[in-house]
Amino acid sequence: MTRLASIIEDRDITYAVLAGRARLQARTVRMLATGETPLDNVAVGTIRRIAVALAVPVAELLEEEPVFPGDDSLLRTERLSAAVREVMWPRRVVRYPSPVETGGDEIADLTPDEFFEQMPAIDARRG
Amino acid sequence: MPDAADVYRRVEESDALSSGDIAYVSLARTRAAGEGPPGEAFDPIGRIPAYPRPAVLALPHGREIAVDTMFALVVTHSCEIDRQTNRGVTADHVDCRLTMAPIVPEPAVTLVGPGGEVEQAVSWAAIERNEPVASLYLPPVEDLSAFAPGVGLPWPRAFADLRGLATVSRRLVATDRLCGLTPSYVGMLQRQLARFFTWRDLARHDLVEAMVGRRIEAAVPLNAREDRWRVALTTDDGSSLTVELRTQ
Repeated sequence: MTRLASIIEDRDITYAVLAGRARLQARTVRMLATGETPLDNVAVGTIRRIAVALAVPVAELLEEEPVFPGDDSLLRTERLSAAVREVMWPRRVVRYPSPVETGGDEIADLTPDEFFEQMPAIDARRG
Repeated sequence: MPDAADVYRRVEESDALSSGDIAYVSLARTRAAGEGPPGEAFDPIGRIPAYPRPAVLALPHGREIAVDTMFALVVTHSCEIDRQTNRGVTADHVDCRLTMAPIVPEPAVTLVGPGGEVEQAVSWAAIERNEPVASLYLPPVEDLSAFAPGVGLPWPRAFADLRGLATVSRRLVATDRLCGLTPSYVGMLQRQLARFFTWRDLARHDLVEAMVGRRIEAAVPLNAREDRWRVALTTDDGSSLTVELRTQ
């Protein structure tokens, strides 16, 4: 969930209400709130109008810069901690195709040892 | 359902890379510009849920590279990782790629079926039992510092998604490695990989029709189920399919 969507939810207002206060199209507000249009893709004036309509500083609407792998301005543990917070516990939930198939198969219940029982060993040192 | 202690193990920075290592990496995928795996129906912008803002690099002729930065699991076999080094290939010539599966955390997604219907509880129950061929269940951890010293955060229930495999260089995996899988759970990863890449299901009618006129070279009985018998057929052009025969 974007920061803007979070504020809209907390205030219990609709996109249309916020759009009316900010003198913007409801579609514009919806696309910004869902993240479909990133905030850095719109005019600064648009963000200011939304911030004024919500009575919050512009900075409160901006998303945090994500931490990237290999960022040597952070210690390795700091980098990994930030990544776990941002990537594993995101604020936005999206729909995702389930890996579950219809119907089952008998081998789904086998342990790895049972599954590979009849398989000959493969020599990892092979040429 | 496995516990965290059965699944994860601590790795030191100096430890050799191995199958089951979990690292924070950038996964690249090429696609037509604007194309959106894992499905336009779910996300028209083509974001992978675990990371909402992919970087996109343009390629000629309406193509692009989408880069998703997320946690991922090494699926390349440890023996394959070591093999070139063991054979005396110099470091400059070792093939540097490791195949990795993106990790999808529960807090980032609402799992939906083919028709778009929400299947959260049913899906996670099956994923926990490692029933789907395309996923490897990764249990939650209350405090990661037991497996990744200095990272005192919880880790949510998640799964490695074998549908999104990509390759990453060894050095990048080593730089941001979080922890690894225990040897016994790597066995489960191998079982899932074997199932995923050798998926067999009953053939559609048009595939059976396309086999008419071909000579059957091999018929391998797979399993019997009540009054039915599944048989894998291979024809003289090398194609194969599985059919189900009534035994009564």
